[in-house]
Amino acid sequence: MSRKIVGITGKKLALSNLEKDLYPSYGFTKAHILEYYSRISAFILPHLKGRALTLKRYPEGVEKEFFFEKRCPSYHPSWVKTAEVHRNGKEDITACLINNLETLIWVGNLASIELHVPLARADSPETPDALVFDLDPGDPADILDCARVALILRGLLSRLRLVSYVKTSGKKGLHLYVPLNRGETTFDSTKMFSKAVADIMQKNYPDLVTAKMAKEHRKAKVFINWSQNDSSKTMVCVYSLRAREKPIVSFPLEWKELEKLAGRGNSEKMQIMHSEALLRVERQGDLFREVIKKKQKLPHL
Amino acid sequence: MAEQAMWSGTISFSLVAIPVNLVMAAESGRVSFRLLHGKDYSPLVRRMVCPKEETIIPPDEIIRGYEIGPGKYVLITDEELESVSPERSRTIEIVEFIDIKEVDSIYYDHPYYLVPAKGGEKSYRLLVEVMHRTNKAGLAKFVMGEREYLVAIKSTEGVLALITLHYSDEILHDEDISPKGVNVDEDEKRRMKKNIKERMAEFRPDKYANERRKKILALLKKKVKEKAPVKAPELEEEEGEGPPDLMAALEESMRKVKKRP
Repeated sequence: MSRKIVGITGKKLALSNLEKDLYPSYGFTKAHILEYYSRISAFILPHLKGRALTLKRYPEGVEKEFFFEKRCPSYHPSWVKTAEVHRNGKEDITACLINNLETLIWVGNLASIELHVPLARADSPETPDALVFDLDPGDPADILDCARVALILRGLLSRLRLVSYVKTSGKKGLHLYVPLNRGETTFDSTKMFSKAVADIMQKNYPDLVTAKMAKEHRKAKVFINWSQNDSSKTMVCVYSLRAREKPIVSFPLEWKELEKLAGRGNSEKMQIMHSEALLRVERQGDLFREVIKKKQKLPHL
Repeated sequence: MAEQAMWSGTISFSLVAIPVNLVMAAESGRVSFRLLHGKDYSPLVRRMVCPKEETIIPPDEIIRGYEIGPGKYVLITDEELESVSPERSRTIEIVEFIDIKEVDSIYYDHPYYLVPAKGGEKSYRLLVEVMHRTNKAGLAKFVMGEREYLVAIKSTEGVLALITLHYSDEILHDEDISPKGVNVDEDEKRRMKKNIKERMAEFRPDKYANERRKKILALLKKKVKEKAPVKAPELEEEEGEGPPDLMAALEESMRKVKKRP
């Protein structure tokens, strides 16, 4: 195993197997992954900060086995911040908090290609900062159908005076976020609200939408997964790489762009590669910054 | 013509097809008023209320019933109604020509004008003139909205008018109206005829006006000058005044979202 000691912001870090190709059919090594995360760090760190990380590790690359790791590995450097996480009916665990660049690189070095975080911060685990609609297409529905649903949802939410933001999942779907950022929000309220919205969408667009989890309901429809609004669930973080054939990123889109791409039926353009992600953030900044800032109140609850 | 077309399509019979737009020919002379809340001048809205539960009923809980007896209903769905509605159509098919004098004015329901659309001017002109000269009217069926109408198309002052007609079974019976067993003597008949003759005039509708409407409009004009109008309070949609709960708010928002083109 090759090792390389690097210094990041004064901390020493041993990086291993940098030349290992973790996206073999595309050609993207661990060094590339670490380079991506370090260059995107200014944009991704605010969204990871203070949240109990779930690692999704691909030690042998994206085409081989992976495992989730909610516990922060016990051999973590002393400067990695952690938080105790209480879980219903299970023992507490210690989770990593990616609060800085060196932790981000250290986690990347563990081949945690994907970074998943809860909707709440570790110090207020029952208070979601945002409500999410996880739009998941059932074959042969695709990301264009998700875009249609997202655009309708956006219209519906704006009638309720709620501003929403959208990102690609980096896989087949879209994630629509409604920032809340208010101390009094509970998962009970976000779950109830998102379920009511999913139900009414299913009722009004029965050929396009389902609010039911069961696989047989999801064929050719967009499943609005409202149940992600739960303290025990995590979402892939905005700007995280996804473990697919190519290094595609979960990336925010402007509504105007989504409208345009949906109108043209261009689903290819909705997949943002690592290199384009870096170009775009340089140009447009963080399109998701309001998700962790904007204060909104769910109406009629 | 500035009037908004209510329907557009073609008049057709044998090989003739004239593109036309249908516009209103008359409007109700009513002055309409909004109903306001006397306390704060908020314009009132209609809501469907269940008298038993004393609550406002959301649209998805409202269904149709046909009353067959006191408190007894046959339920009918939108799909069932749709299945018996006529197919939408873009033609006014003239099936026969009749003498317009034969149509008793009791049958007249509502008047419209037919306006020639692009490319139809010449045949329109031709139909207007021939119908005028022969005093004939076309009898046609056509579909607007969800209804099929029986209509007469006639020539009036250089344009085509379309008059929707009542179907014969909509006309109420008149048998009992005429008094029976009453004899009228010839002298009385003659006197009545003379009376009528003395009052004969040409039909000049502009001699008459809806006096009440005129007076109401004059009164409103005067009141506007004298006193500033009252103002409705602005609705605080965020809280309180809005729909009562989340589901109602979602239903209402969804309706608005779906209305957008």
